Amino acid sequence: MAEEKILTEQESLALITSMISKAKCDYEETGISALLWGIIVTFCSVVSFSNNYWWNLSWVNYVWFLTFLAIVPQILISIRESKRKKYKSYHDDAMGGIWISFGIAIILLSFYSSVFNSNSQITLYLILYGIPTFATGFAQKFIPMIVGGIAAWIFAVISMYIPFPFGLLLSAATAQLAWFIPGLILRRRYLKLKNENV
Amino acid sequence: MFKDLDPILHSQLRLAIMSLLISVKEAEFTFIREKTNATAGNISVQINKLKDAGYIDVIKQFKDNYPQTICKITPPGIKAFEEYVKNLQTYLSIKK
Repeated sequence: MAEEKILTEQESLALITSMISKAKCDYEETGISALLWGIIVTFCSVVSFSNNYWWNLSWVNYVWFLTFLAIVPQILISIRESKRKKYKSYHDDAMGGIWISFGIAIILLSFYSSVFNSNSQITLYLILYGIPTFATGFAQKFIPMIVGGIAAWIFAVISMYIPFPFGLLLSAATAQLAWFIPGLILRRRYLKLKNENV
Repeated sequence: MFKDLDPILHSQLRLAIMSLLISVKEAEFTFIREKTNATAGNISVQINKLKDAGYIDVIKQFKDNYPQTICKITPPGIKAFEEYVKNLQTYLSIKK
């Protein structure tokens, strides 16, 4: 690009449009976080369902502690991604705030569930899963996450009417629709963009 | 009434830099270089001109022991950019 080229008015407008679109197209979401949580929550839900439906081993229910262990790789992923990113968008802080408040809400809900042991807790988890997923999809105009968020809320309503432990299958389905599938789409887009830039 | 276009913005590389910075909260120098395909020297000169005009803030710091330059559009920069686009639109509509 020439350093001091004086533009015509049409060229100026075209340049502004092109640069804004270049900045917007700089899609850097790797999808790893979404995949991580999609896999972990699906695994925990399916194991927990199998245990409550067939095995009935008390220690197997501790499988949910895996979600707490997964916070460590999540922190590492977040640090690595923020180091790699060469710009900060206006919604980065807002998205960070939404997902941190979701994490805190999940920890508080887990504590609540351990104090007031109730089978209806799955509904509450599903309602919570929908909030940051829908908000992220809405803010980033990413339809798979909007669909995932709405699915979480629909499953939350269904879970009110089905007996325990079948709600855990809805939890697994939510993890797939809200995080795993959008994560796969994001990952595919990221790798495609990365290959194009090599 | 048609107003003269801001001479600070009415230049290819400076306008490209401002258009990028209006789209993000802040950006590293390397991001601007990648998107504009201009040389580091050219960008440095134009960034200094934008900085002197008060349109952008430039923060120089170290990240992992490497120097890092971050550019951020200022409120007067946003106002000037909006005014520039408005004048451009007025000019183009008069021309039609």
